[in-house]
Amino acid sequence: MMVKSLMPSHQRGRAVLALSVVFLALAALIALAGANPLDALAALLRGAFGERYVLAETLVTATPLAIVALGVMPALRSGLFTIGSQGQLVAGAALSTAVIQANADATAPVLLLLGCLSGIGGGLIYALLPALLRAYMHVNEILSTLLLNYIAGYGLLWALKGPLRSSMQTATPRSDALPDNALIDNFLDGTRLHSGIFAVLLLAVVIWFWTRTRSGLVYSLFASRPHLAARLGLSSPRAVVTTMLCSGGAAGLAGWIQVAGVAHTLYPSVDGGLGFSGILVAVLGGLNPIGIVIAAVLFGALSTGAQGMQIGTSVPAAIAVVAQGFVLLAVTLAVGKGALSSKTPPHPVGPQPSETVEAKP
Amino acid sequence: MSWSDLVFWQIVLGGTLRLATPIFLAALGEMITERSGTINLGIDGIMTAGAFSAVVCASFAGWQGGLIGAALTGALYGAVVALWVVKGGANQIITGIAISLVGSGLTSFLFQLWQPSGQSMMFVPLAPNIAIPFLSEIPLIGPILFKQNLITYAALVLLVVTAWLMNHTRLGLVLRAVGDGVAASAIRGIDTDRVRMIAIIVGGCLMGLGGAAITIGFLGSFNDGLTNGRGYVALAVVIIGRWSPVGAVLGAFLFAFFDSLGLRAQSGMGFLPNEVFSMLPYAMTLLVLIVTARSKIAPRELGR
Repeated sequence: MMVKSLMPSHQRGRAVLALSVVFLALAALIALAGANPLDALAALLRGAFGERYVLAETLVTATPLAIVALGVMPALRSGLFTIGSQGQLVAGAALSTAVIQANADATAPVLLLLGCLSGIGGGLIYALLPALLRAYMHVNEILSTLLLNYIAGYGLLWALKGPLRSSMQTATPRSDALPDNALIDNFLDGTRLHSGIFAVLLLAVVIWFWTRTRSGLVYSLFASRPHLAARLGLSSPRAVVTTMLCSGGAAGLAGWIQVAGVAHTLYPSVDGGLGFSGILVAVLGGLNPIGIVIAAVLFGALSTGAQGMQIGTSVPAAIAVVAQGFVLLAVTLAVGKGALSSKTPPHPVGPQPSETVEAKP
Repeated sequence: MSWSDLVFWQIVLGGTLRLATPIFLAALGEMITERSGTINLGIDGIMTAGAFSAVVCASFAGWQGGLIGAALTGALYGAVVALWVVKGGANQIITGIAISLVGSGLTSFLFQLWQPSGQSMMFVPLAPNIAIPFLSEIPLIGPILFKQNLITYAALVLLVVTAWLMNHTRLGLVLRAVGDGVAASAIRGIDTDRVRMIAIIVGGCLMGLGGAAITIGFLGSFNDGLTNGRGYVALAVVIIGRWSPVGAVLGAFLFAFFDSLGLRAQSGMGFLPNEVFSMLPYAMTLLVLIVTARSKIAPRELGR
């Protein structure tokens, strides 16, 4: 019951079988699109890893995915399905843009710090409402966060047509470009790779360390045995609010990174599905930091590779989303009931053999 | 036209009924599913798939074909959910998220194959609007209630049928019993797996029809992201409506009223930014969800 592995050995066989079926189904779809599946696979790999620029793009996409995923990981471990990363990312991106634009003359370190903090702050604020609603009023967190995602989307549109509107005429609503001092530096010439990637490593190490602490264990315990967790000092409202704020802060950070590191301007589709996919990355990464980083790179490769495939073989890039869904279906079937269950175990009282004496034969 | 104009409100209310239909159908499907003890979170993806297959089938076989295609597509997705959750023991929430992704991704993929971007949008025959003789001529409420789309009327019939089945037949009793206690029902000799599978598949069928109510009910064509989260709204509506068919109608009206108001108000007469009107239906749904959250009358086996 320590760090829950998504894949105990007896499930590995089922997973391999399920993933083979996924590959066959995807190959069939590619054939339906009139392309040779092997050619398409080659085009996908070329599009994701084939040259310096696309390799950098894969990492640029993986960065926010990993940050969002690492942020929702504690919530998922605690059995809370917060699906609000999309709205929180938007809130972080919008607030950091507003704060940066208001202090446009400041020096680079100040602006980077301001941007980072206001990004996190925006995400925190936007996560606070569903967290409090869940903790104190029993409002289902899945629904409140989903609805808030749509509200954030329209809020962003309003901001981009109102207070954050570009001073120039633009075809689609967007903000003014950020001042140079506010940008996260780009460290590989000719690509969009930026230092935000180090935030992933830092966050992964911190989260990994947390899972090893007493606090990390108690939070995992909260998912299956909230009463026991409460006796160990973790009340239900506290678990809900802290983990949901953690996911909000991380998503907000990812929002700032997308604006200051990649696009250098705020635009309506700043989320671009990152919030939703980030949650999948957390699940497929087995809710542990190393798995999450690997899954994020794979998802990044899948989405940049699918763009390359669309150009090379005319297979629609939407195949990437289908692939994500299929893989998730396969994995959740292979895992079955055990992992990630947010429900109470069959024996609600008394110590569980698996928790106490399992390791000692 | 202005806020004080009677015609304005007539249009808003007529639109409410029309816009409520897809949400109501999907919510009815979700309600049947949840009554059996399963939550189907893939509702938005299934609606998208149903909306698309309604357009494809309607382009070949008219609106009748569209309805059948959407229902079958929804049932197919429902069957996948049922197999995964009931037979495979998969986590319901993750299965639902995966189904949402497959529903929207696969639909978008097939849509691009069917109509590569750059081509002109394809319009298909709509289900007919029917003006009921005499009744539709009643001043004020006549045009609102009795000049509606066939699918809206069908949804109202479904409401009555489902409410009756749920509350006055053995079928409804069995469904509710399974949702409230799988073990107890099994002891009484009910094949609980079969009941849950059927409930999920019928639910998926209704979600597919909910999608069809968008495309062949009033839109006439398909575009990516056309549900705009209405599936998730339907999910909220089930809770707001306390797992009852009549509650689902009222919840659907709530969202659809503000949706319709926003659509009308955007045509140049709003005193607020258009985006505020666009977010209003979601915000109001959330608000009512908060107000009604304390009631704990969900089916006891829900989510397990």
